[in-house]
Amino acid sequence: MAADGGRAVLPCAFSPKSQQFLALCAQDGRLRIWNTESKALQQEYVPSAHLSAACTCVTWGPCRAVQDVPQRKRRKCESGAAVEQTDLLALGTAAGSVLIYSTVKGDLHCTLDGEHSGPVNSVQWHPEDSVLYSGSDDTHIAEWDLQKGKVICKWKADRSAISSLCISPDGKLLLSAGMIIKMWNLETKEVYRKFTGHSTMVTTLCFATTRPPDSNGMYFLSGAAHDRLLSVWQVRSDGKDKNSVVSFTLTDEPQHIDLQTSSHKEEAMRLAVVCKDGQLHLFEHFLNGICKKPLSPVCSLQVSTMKGDSPVPVPLLAAALCADRQNLKLAYGHHLQPVMEKTPFNTSERHACLVRDVLSTLSLSVDMAVSKVKTPVVNQKSKVLMPGLTGHKAPIKLTPNEAEKRKKETSTTELSIEERLEQIELSGGRKGAAKGSSSLQTDSFAVLLVQGLESKDEKILNKIFQTKKEILIKNTVSRLPPPAILPLLEELSRRLQGHPFAALLIVQWFKAVLTQHASYLSSLPDLVSQLGLIYHMIESRVKLYHQLSRLHGKLFLLMSQVATSSSAQKTDVDRTAKLVYEEESSDEDEGSGDEGRPEDDSDNWEEDETAMELTEDKMNHKEEDEEDMKDESKANGDSDLDPENESEEE
Amino acid sequence: MFREAKNMVERSDIRVVRCGGSKINFRPPIISNDSRFVLCVSGDSVKVYSTRTEEWLHSLQGHTKQVTGIAFNPANHLQVYSCSADGTVKLWDFIDGILIKTFIIGSPLFALYVSKEHEGVIFLHLSKGTHHKNECFQLVSTHLPKSADQEVEAKELSVVSSHISPNPSCTAFGRGGEYIAFARKLQLDVYFFRKQKTYSFYLKATDKKGAKNAFTCIACNPTDDCIATGHEDGKIRLWRNFNHKKEYTYSTLHWHHNAVNTLCFTPEGTNLLSGGIESVLVQWQCGAGSKKDVLPRLGGSILHVSASPDGQLFCVSHSDNKITVIEDGFKVSGLIQGLVTGDTVLTDLMIDPRSKALVLNGKPGHLQFYSLLRDKHLYNLDIVQQEYIYEAGLDQFEVVKAVFDVKGSWLATVEERGRESSDLEFFLKLWAFDETTQSFVLNTSISAAHTDRIISMCFSSSEETTMLVTTAEDSQFKAWCQGADADTQQDQNFWSCDFVGSYHNLKPTNCTFSADSSLLAVSFQEVVTVWSPDTWELLTTLCQPPGQIRDLCFGRLSCSKYLLGTTTKNLLCCWNLLTCALEWSTSLEVSKLQADPLSENVAAFSYQSKHTDLFVFKPSEPLPLFTHEKVCSEKVHRAIFVPREELLNGCDERCQWLNGSQLYFLTQNMDLMTFSMATEEDRMLSSSKRLVIDDSIAVTPFYLLLGKHRQQQQKLNTPSHPAADKPQQKQSSVSIKQLLHTPAHVLPAASVLCSMFVNSLLISNTGVREEMESSEQEMDSEKEEEDSEGEMETRDSQQDLRAQGSVDEVTPKLSKAQERELKRVRKTDFSWMTGLIVSKP
Repeated sequence: MAADGGRAVLPCAFSPKSQQFLALCAQDGRLRIWNTESKALQQEYVPSAHLSAACTCVTWGPCRAVQDVPQRKRRKCESGAAVEQTDLLALGTAAGSVLIYSTVKGDLHCTLDGEHSGPVNSVQWHPEDSVLYSGSDDTHIAEWDLQKGKVICKWKADRSAISSLCISPDGKLLLSAGMIIKMWNLETKEVYRKFTGHSTMVTTLCFATTRPPDSNGMYFLSGAAHDRLLSVWQVRSDGKDKNSVVSFTLTDEPQHIDLQTSSHKEEAMRLAVVCKDGQLHLFEHFLNGICKKPLSPVCSLQVSTMKGDSPVPVPLLAAALCADRQNLKLAYGHHLQPVMEKTPFNTSERHACLVRDVLSTLSLSVDMAVSKVKTPVVNQKSKVLMPGLTGHKAPIKLTPNEAEKRKKETSTTELSIEERLEQIELSGGRKGAAKGSSSLQTDSFAVLLVQGLESKDEKILNKIFQTKKEILIKNTVSRLPPPAILPLLEELSRRLQGHPFAALLIVQWFKAVLTQHASYLSSLPDLVSQLGLIYHMIESRVKLYHQLSRLHGKLFLLMSQVATSSSAQKTDVDRTAKLVYEEESSDEDEGSGDEGRPEDDSDNWEEDETAMELTEDKMNHKEEDEEDMKDESKANGDSDLDPENESEEE
Repeated sequence: MFREAKNMVERSDIRVVRCGGSKINFRPPIISNDSRFVLCVSGDSVKVYSTRTEEWLHSLQGHTKQVTGIAFNPANHLQVYSCSADGTVKLWDFIDGILIKTFIIGSPLFALYVSKEHEGVIFLHLSKGTHHKNECFQLVSTHLPKSADQEVEAKELSVVSSHISPNPSCTAFGRGGEYIAFARKLQLDVYFFRKQKTYSFYLKATDKKGAKNAFTCIACNPTDDCIATGHEDGKIRLWRNFNHKKEYTYSTLHWHHNAVNTLCFTPEGTNLLSGGIESVLVQWQCGAGSKKDVLPRLGGSILHVSASPDGQLFCVSHSDNKITVIEDGFKVSGLIQGLVTGDTVLTDLMIDPRSKALVLNGKPGHLQFYSLLRDKHLYNLDIVQQEYIYEAGLDQFEVVKAVFDVKGSWLATVEERGRESSDLEFFLKLWAFDETTQSFVLNTSISAAHTDRIISMCFSSSEETTMLVTTAEDSQFKAWCQGADADTQQDQNFWSCDFVGSYHNLKPTNCTFSADSSLLAVSFQEVVTVWSPDTWELLTTLCQPPGQIRDLCFGRLSCSKYLLGTTTKNLLCCWNLLTCALEWSTSLEVSKLQADPLSENVAAFSYQSKHTDLFVFKPSEPLPLFTHEKVCSEKVHRAIFVPREELLNGCDERCQWLNGSQLYFLTQNMDLMTFSMATEEDRMLSSSKRLVIDDSIAVTPFYLLLGKHRQQQQKLNTPSHPAADKPQQKQSSVSIKQLLHTPAHVLPAASVLCSMFVNSLLISNTGVREEMESSEQEMDSEKEEEDSEGEMETRDSQQDLRAQGSVDEVTPKLSKAQERELKRVRKTDFSWMTGLIVSKP
């Protein structure tokens, strides 16, 4: 492909108006049409000669209205609104033929061939009539009548190859370019103007205004191979249009351009140019005569992806300006699988870089092609809020006065050295007293606990909180100095949210603190906020308790039934042997079944209890729980007899 | 106030149009002979889709009521019959979308059947008198009168059976059209056309095991005398030998565990396809017992299955408004998806601020994104991420609420299950839009965010901070904020509860933020409370008893000081927030109040005396800007303003409210409707003309054969015109072209064409002697003959001549010798050939 005029650029085009589709010819010679809205592959077309005659250019045909609303009679409630549909796509090939492909039917519509002997470099649709123009390496331009699929006219347009074509918006003029840009009058097929200035092959041509040529207001744009400038030419009525009026600087040769003309005077013309180096440059300019200095872009945009830790640039393939003038449609990545995105741009930043995870986006779009289901990402990073965790309920806030008070208080808790010494003495005394009063064995961890809380040493705290002895806990808590109580509460509430087993131990501590230091706690002004979290947690767990106990009841029923059914199976074997002759024996069977049962039941119950402990994280109600369970077990044990009997009867 | 104003407003050129979402799964889809098109019934039109690209090509419009059946014309595979509840049968050319004929039957029709062996006869389902409580359906046949008129009355109906099931899939034609089988409840009837006799077979309602035996569908093997019937309990019975009343037999296939919805034999009769609620397509091999292939997880229970005439493609239509295209080898190759509406729309209609797509709950557990501009389903977003099991009576998670923030960077969803039972379980999920991966990422999932169901939620509308407010039946509302959490040492920001509010333990119903997010209004039954989200102070309460608040919305832009509310007791109130007093109120039963995000306008749908009216007004003005009576006949509960891509420059004062955004609403029939301006349509139609392009694909093998042949001939004949041969080869011959490119249904009889066709194939011999003999007189007479043969042909040839003339450097002229040869050939007798052709069919 590089042989034909250095055209390594793969053809790529957004559908007109709403840019719903992106047509892209990849290196493998296939045409792929991507839906920019669902970001999935719409269809793939393999031209019959895709390897020998590669596709050289792609142009979308004008939109069509799907529904012709009958003009004569309009009912009040019409069945459908008119919908615009982009359908036809013209492909030029290296063999010199033009293919018209219908995206709606997913099939080739017709082929136009036999006119060009060289590769077709540019195809242009007439904006109104069903006429198509093609320019080729064989220096000819052909005008095709699409209704008949025949050529209307063919003429030699240049001495060198025709590399680019462009039709004026009113459909009366045609620009063609090799090295020299020629403007043709399409009615007479005569050269209207010539523009010289490019030294290399012109690759891009584009009209920048919609005005007629005789009002001095007609401008067009050209870009050439290996040229880092885009030139704007003015078509003047006096013919003094030998040089370009404005030029835009680029970082590389232009690859894909999209231009938005200004609809009124206050609006600047907008231009989005994707260069060969994969960068996008945005220009805004008011076309008004000559501007000597080359214009630099208002905004440059690049896309990069993270490969490991270092960013890697991702080449942009095409860009289109959306009709709302605030968004850009971008296509980037690889030709075989581009990523499409609609992104807002702001011209205040001169350089912008979009960091995108190309790989994961790709994997999303691949799955979607058939199923049309997108799966949003759910990973470990997301947070799960359960009732009882911080954030599930609103934090209980202080009124400003209280907050101030609290601050003061915290300042007072900063003790002077004297006081600290006193405290140490005190605690030391206590320790000594403890030692003195009882045996050598310590009956409290008070000092250790204070130290642990101050240093936040997990090791010490873990060790302390693992004690199960109730008296020990009681002693420790009662000997704690008041300033250590709040940190202890915080630590306890933190641990309560942890593993259920840990919570089981913590609850004892918690209980001890509440009973021993109730008076101190009630004297605290910000008690509500301090204990709010714990309160919420308890509340939510109490609410769950009802459901849990119901679940437990159901599980217990199930388990006992499973146990009885397994025992019943054993008895069944006996029964078959005895039932044949003796009718009364069935009573015995039942009796034996009953005898066997209580043992099974109790085993089963123990299992169940341990299971409960595993699942339940409601340890602050452990005691109540157990009581309830006992009650329930009794109740269940009674009620169990009935279903069991029933099953045996069956 | 509004009602009085109604009379003042004259008719403007705004009309209500259906913009999509109509059902495509109402009746079985049919596949064209070449497997390129699939046709399906959609509302009052027939839609034509391409099987390859799944794109909608065009629709056949003309019926005035629901289309109830379609079938290909057995005599011409390019034509299709459609019947409708408006009492007409229409014949279409479906490739070009042209209406050929209309047959007026009179009474509403419910289904249509045709058979190859009954040419010119169609079979229809009619309703036999509606005055009966239980409607009775009858099957009638009618001869379609042959007449050249566009509209023909066909009133001669002959009743085949007067007692049939209303379900059209319970009737089927047997092999070669010899008999027709129809089932009703527990009775299977087979009517033989030759004998004009009906055999009936009965099943017991239930057998010992409690199986439900009622018939649900029926299919006949096209090559064998075998009838397959589907039953309510999931069994399939294969009936044989049914032409004897007593000696019939049947075998049973059983895989489905729920009712079999559809049965379909492949054209060769080798396989039987069946589908039911399980959304599994089962392919049974006929004569191989219970050997089967299954294609599971198609999504949505299967309603209909149809096979293409060549047996290469199957189309399965599903309950979620979708048609799956399954290619040979039992693989899904495409999806034609309409707007999924399910049974109910649980979420509000929303607009994704990023893609501007319409978002609502779609298939179970998903949110669907739908392009309004193109009436096309884009994708489903999997919210619940659990496999949905299609089975009756299962309680599974459904997305019930969803809401986007202003920029589209946050999405909040609520999924719940156990609506009916007491064990309610629900999750509030907050999804962040991740730019780098271009997809939503779960940020926070909150289980049991409230102790009872969430009724409504909304995001704050300011750009700086996002806040979500949820109201629930536990008489609390909660505000959720994205705050840095002290506990988690990650840089990611998670959501947590910021405030819990309640008001006298009343149940909250609605919540809404003002445009600048400085105020939050929460309605508690009759009372509207206004809060400041910054300090969570209760600023004021507004109350207008009686009646609970149904809808709430703040005014925008210049009307931002107003708060609008509707009550269940038919009152539309407008409060002034500066004076905290009622500004005005009017008695209007408003079912939906919707504010335009881009302007001050508010739309109110009012339901009164069995139809819905629309009022568009500004809160500051006492009179409505626009009223539209009788928008539709049902209540409207869902509506949305969609910002336009391009602003329209309003011309008419009445239409100005449509300039910035478009109003869509959903009726209870799940039709998505919109208001469309005449000017806008004209603009669209004028801007996009229909391209007429010759769609001849040159590279068919047939063309290659004939085209090359002509090319060689041309080269032989005119060696002196090298430039002429290229264009000549494309047009080959007039007669060949005519034969190949005119649609078959407009072609004259084959016997007429034959001589021309053979003529064109002959290689003419260029002899000098014959050239000498040519005379002008003969030429003329020949031309006259040609004229008499048919207008079409001559017109074509003239056109061709003209076309050739326009191509420069081309001189298309047949040599004299050629012409003579042609004449000679024409005069020879080809009656043997016509004999051949006539004997063929």
